[in-house]
Amino acid sequence: MDFQDRFFRSLFLGASALSALVTVAVLCFMVLLCLPVLKLDFIRHVLTAPWSPGQGQFGILPMMAGTICIAFLSLVISFPISLGCSFFIEILKPKGKGNLLKKLVQFMTAIPTVIYGFVGVFLLVPFIREIFAYGSGMCILSASLMLGLLISPTLILFFSQSFSRVPQSYLNAVDALGGTTWQKLYHVILPHAWKGMLTGIVLAFGRAMGDTLIALMISGNAVVMPSSLLDSARTLTAHIALIFAADFDSMEFKILFISGIVLYMMTSLGILFTRGLDRKGPA
Amino acid sequence: MKTNIQIRMENLWFYYHDRVILEDIHAEIEKNAITAISGPSGQGKSTFLMILNRLWENIDGAKVKGKVEIDFGKGFEDVYHESYPVHQLRRRVGMVFQTPNPLPMSIYKNIAFPLTLMGEKNQATLSHRVETALKKAFLWDEVKDRLLENAETLSGGQQQRLCIARALVPEPDILLLDEPTSSLDEASIRVIEALLLELKKSCTIILVSHYMDQIGRIADHRLVLSERKLRPAPDKARDIQNRIEK
Repeated sequence: MDFQDRFFRSLFLGASALSALVTVAVLCFMVLLCLPVLKLDFIRHVLTAPWSPGQGQFGILPMMAGTICIAFLSLVISFPISLGCSFFIEILKPKGKGNLLKKLVQFMTAIPTVIYGFVGVFLLVPFIREIFAYGSGMCILSASLMLGLLISPTLILFFSQSFSRVPQSYLNAVDALGGTTWQKLYHVILPHAWKGMLTGIVLAFGRAMGDTLIALMISGNAVVMPSSLLDSARTLTAHIALIFAADFDSMEFKILFISGIVLYMMTSLGILFTRGLDRKGPA
Repeated sequence: MKTNIQIRMENLWFYYHDRVILEDIHAEIEKNAITAISGPSGQGKSTFLMILNRLWENIDGAKVKGKVEIDFGKGFEDVYHESYPVHQLRRRVGMVFQTPNPLPMSIYKNIAFPLTLMGEKNQATLSHRVETALKKAFLWDEVKDRLLENAETLSGGQQQRLCIARALVPEPDILLLDEPTSSLDEASIRVIEALLLELKKSCTIILVSHYMDQIGRIADHRLVLSERKLRPAPDKARDIQNRIEK
């Protein structure tokens, strides 16, 4: 191996080691910062009690529930739409229109989140309020719908890519045997593409959990355990942003790092869970 | 003579974007015979086959003009008529590709796949027809103990016979083969040739091949496709002319 080979090998190795290290370093940083409040009793308190700093209660359970509800619901909303879109783009391929749609979807990724937030506040929220004639319209449903739209480009682009990787020979085989387009999707494309699709789902779910602005602007930010789709809720990310903007060095502020760790853990668990699915499933 | 024709093409043109690939093709293909098409590479032999099962419709920018009529026992039908269901056509006109293309599933499932597509769920019927098809394709003895293994673990020759067996399952009237032996060894080639000779009793076979010796061994009729035209092969030209006049 000559010098150039060795140089590039160590360069790339260094780059990947660095990015892996950052992930770990973030976790260490957060643990370090919340060491002062990191006692078993207190963690139990944080994970189970309600949030009421005035009464000395610093539980983040409502925010955890809000995060999971909104992220999961946005995925449920976005999944079928994205599946349909990518199928349209890659398999049905109506002359020219498929590509146009793909370009549009790629463009969607470049729209700042705050714009989605605006649209949500001025269009979606009043709409939901009028349709259901309940509350302010700032609720889990509105936030999930908007967040579903926000994560759909991730899903669509990943799904399209997985679909386009299905070998043409498989598609020809089904076509030549007189299979319909739907049979092709069901029998060949989905079984072949689902692993790639899973990666997209993991990333989209991570994005939905980690997104701050949509939830902050549209979900209403009420610190209560959500009991219906029309209830307001606060996510962990919005919670962190809200407290961070208004506070410093108080007890509430210190709790933020625990919130951060919990968010980190929830995302990691989501990823590990889907990885596990991936390994168990058939090749 | 006319009673024995199964496929009739008239004034057929094929375009790819604005390029003419096939020009004013007229052809009549005999039932229960092997018709071989040869010619230089890249001149549209595969395209010619794909016209018969309309598989070219998947190609972006391709266009066909002209008339293709096939007699499936009820007189000639225009298979390009708007109301003609393409899925039904493809069950009657089977196709085997140059590179074997088993689906990523078990041998059994591959063969049963056309029946699955037709909605057949009866296990007894399925296993009976899988066995029949594999026997027809001279593959049964080699795979009967490993039906649940992935079809992609078979050898190239076996894979190609698997694809032939799969194409035979819907009991097609016509079988299109696109250089089916080009990636195979001599022994596999002989098996497939013997298979085709057997199959022509129940099937009309159109074979694209550039092995002249192969064509000589098994073909009843020879056509050559070159410079966008389909013509009878030189040495057989008079032979076919005689037939048409009869």
